[in-house]
Amino acid sequence: MDDASCQIDGIGPLPVIRPTSVVELGEQIRQAEAVFPLGGRTQLDLGYPPSRDGIALDLTRLDQIIDYPARDMTITVQAGIRLAQLQRVLAGEGQRLPLDVPRAEQATLGGVLATNTSGSRRYGAGTARDYVIGISTVNDEGQETKAGGRVVKNVAGYDLCKLHLGALGTLGVISQVTLKVRPIPEASAVLMFGCETAALPTLLEELHASQTRPICLDLLNAAAVRHAGLLQPKQAWLLVIGFEDSETAVHWQMQQLIRELTRLNVVGTEAAAGAATQPVWQSLTELTAPTGAGFSLQAGVLPSQVAEFAAFAAGLPGDPLIHAHAGNGLVRVHWLQTPDASTAVAHRETLAARAGHLTVLRCPSALKPLLPLWGTPRADAELMRQVKHALDPRGRFNPGRFLQGI
Amino acid sequence: MSVLLERLIATLGREAVLSSPAELLVYECDGYTIEKNRPDVVVFPTSTEQIVQIVRVCNELEVPFLPRGAGTSLAGGVLPVGGGVVISLARMKKIRQVDTRNRYAIVEPGVVNLSLTNYLKPHGWHFAPDPSSQGACTIGGNVATNSGGPHTLKYGVTVNHVLGVELVLPDGRVVTTGGPIEDAPGYDLTGVIVGSEGTFGIVSKIWVRLTRNPEAYRTLLGVFETVDDATNTISDLIGAGIIPAALEMLDAPILSAIEAAFHFGFPLDAGAVLIMEVDGLAAGLDADAERIEKIARRNRAREVRRANTEAERALLWKSRKQAFGAVGRLAPSYCTQDGVVPRTKLPEMLRKIQYIGERYNLKICNVFHAGDGNIHPILLFDERDADQVQRVLKASHDILDECIRLGGSVTGEHGIGVEKIDFMPKLFSPEDLAMMLRLRAAFNPYGRCSPRKMLPTAGACIEQSKVGRRAAL
Repeated sequence: MDDASCQIDGIGPLPVIRPTSVVELGEQIRQAEAVFPLGGRTQLDLGYPPSRDGIALDLTRLDQIIDYPARDMTITVQAGIRLAQLQRVLAGEGQRLPLDVPRAEQATLGGVLATNTSGSRRYGAGTARDYVIGISTVNDEGQETKAGGRVVKNVAGYDLCKLHLGALGTLGVISQVTLKVRPIPEASAVLMFGCETAALPTLLEELHASQTRPICLDLLNAAAVRHAGLLQPKQAWLLVIGFEDSETAVHWQMQQLIRELTRLNVVGTEAAAGAATQPVWQSLTELTAPTGAGFSLQAGVLPSQVAEFAAFAAGLPGDPLIHAHAGNGLVRVHWLQTPDASTAVAHRETLAARAGHLTVLRCPSALKPLLPLWGTPRADAELMRQVKHALDPRGRFNPGRFLQGI
Repeated sequence: MSVLLERLIATLGREAVLSSPAELLVYECDGYTIEKNRPDVVVFPTSTEQIVQIVRVCNELEVPFLPRGAGTSLAGGVLPVGGGVVISLARMKKIRQVDTRNRYAIVEPGVVNLSLTNYLKPHGWHFAPDPSSQGACTIGGNVATNSGGPHTLKYGVTVNHVLGVELVLPDGRVVTTGGPIEDAPGYDLTGVIVGSEGTFGIVSKIWVRLTRNPEAYRTLLGVFETVDDATNTISDLIGAGIIPAALEMLDAPILSAIEAAFHFGFPLDAGAVLIMEVDGLAAGLDADAERIEKIARRNRAREVRRANTEAERALLWKSRKQAFGAVGRLAPSYCTQDGVVPRTKLPEMLRKIQYIGERYNLKICNVFHAGDGNIHPILLFDERDADQVQRVLKASHDILDECIRLGGSVTGEHGIGVEKIDFMPKLFSPEDLAMMLRLRAAFNPYGRCSPRKMLPTAGACIEQSKVGRRAAL
């Protein structure tokens, strides 16, 4: 990777500046016409190309741990810290941030938050929204401003933390974050089993009503299973149910789920426990942004509609990988072979018609003008623009890349 | 009759409008009684359309307005500072839809918190935020203040359980943010509307996340000779990575009041007790309870009791949640604070509160969400005595200043309201506050909706201002 310049979607080269202090970061923002924040550059192809010339601000030198009072289970860090590094520091105290982030050695916390990255554990552990308790961002005037604080419960002032999550850096550059963290659970176990398409709706209903409380309820089609290298798929679908809790609770849930599945005539379950779950979690996490995927979509549907939606998507030509966080209603569809323009447009449209929302996560730059990457505008699109205008009146932050008019 | 009143009656009908001084008395304050101000009119819409009409009338006549739920706010959140129209959501109390398969419900803002949970009980689900006032407070109010409660230690506060809202903006437009389908791309406006204390508009519908009921509970009562032993236990529990469902501390003065009211059997000679609850699957709970008991005993717990029946557990929680009601036995008035400190700083904070009580010659008792570091010192006084009121205000300020000094916040769940507005510049820089003001202006450009709340300089353009009357000041 060229350090001195970078391209976003073929636009550029943009000069890359790597501030070593927040003051310098502010200075750069104040002087710039437009600012494109960079973290680990793992999701730089998300969204539209820049609509204006500007500078790329690389945050990776702002990666310090500011305060880690482990006994309070909070940590304050600079946003440029790599996720894997953050997790290593936390693990030193038996703690973690339960977010599943692909390419974690590269990805920075700021980038993870700006894109609201999440994975399989979100079913039981929630998303970034549930862990960010304080945030500092550098505003359009180059000033670092904060919201929230360093305590786990706090309602003083507007919760701007929420606003910056998933905002793709369009409201300011995230510079520092305080997180609520969790103890690493005593035990971890995974149960995997196959099923055919016809049985899928009932099975998902039953899993929803299970006496167990999984942290992960993922659904993969055979192509996704193969790509993830999880095991040799024997049926059209694979369900991956994960538990993380105390030893006793995990053991009981595994036994209980097997009992429930036996009643449903599900056979051939594969189990992994302890360290053996690590590769499974890793595969599921990397599958959220699979290497080599040329065209990736993410749909949101009601959990009760996942079976139908996933089955439909799996039937599309091009052998797509389907990976759903079934309990949350999030379904990702990845094509390894990039379809031609008209097919891509058709795939997007046919899936969008069946989903609550549909985002294009990845596609060739040439296709971007043809695709509404962020889907149909939400009902509150106008209010979002008002918020954008209030916080970034000159449209300096990531212009052109996010929602229309933002 | 004023034009305002005429227009509102014409819009809503006479039975939905209150305007006589006697009727308005109730609406001049909430649970924070130190400051009071009478609204001009109180209205009771029954639909989003009616809220829109009210807001339009207020805008035309340039009258301030604000929403009100059950009025249980402890920070003056629904104090009508500039007079104007109080929009009570009390008649919008329908549970519109419950979908346990997709883990959500749609409710109107006036639905009482506990009534949703009671409604869901037979289905095995509940709404997780459980403020002590949950028998009265409304979900709309919970959204406005981002309410907590004892069990938010494990389950999170209101914002973690709100998926979307329908909001009548201060200019009368209706907008829906979020909904039951997760992760729609765009700004999380829902997340910032929750906790905005009514300054972004009037929430008229709410999509809430539903939570499965725990299969089982283990509820322990740890009895300690001293407050220090109890707070050290809290610190050790959190430090050991144990996240109970709830972890509450009650000190000796509050115990005696509660015991007189509920006869639970609290030891009256103890320095403090901790209510420690773990919940979830039955498997593993006993082991968790044993770990907790061991840590309590290591901190010299005199006794660790277990609630053996559901009735016993219910009485224990009733005693805890109605503790504030029992305070009436101790003094004619009380003022409770809502500071937060890092959990490991609780022993230090509690000693400081005792010192402050002695300094101002005030009785202060404590009952609070220890696991979150969210303190609720209750300052006892008589509001007819101006000198006492002054001392209460000073002591409160000292307590909150100490919370800030220890790296905490001045409010964990009650909100800034009008009460703690002066603390905002202590917690936030002028630049921080300027960003918050910019955000408010995006929603509420003329400051007509809930003026003079939360941010120090907001609402300065309100013309129809009356000076709030201060109790005994």
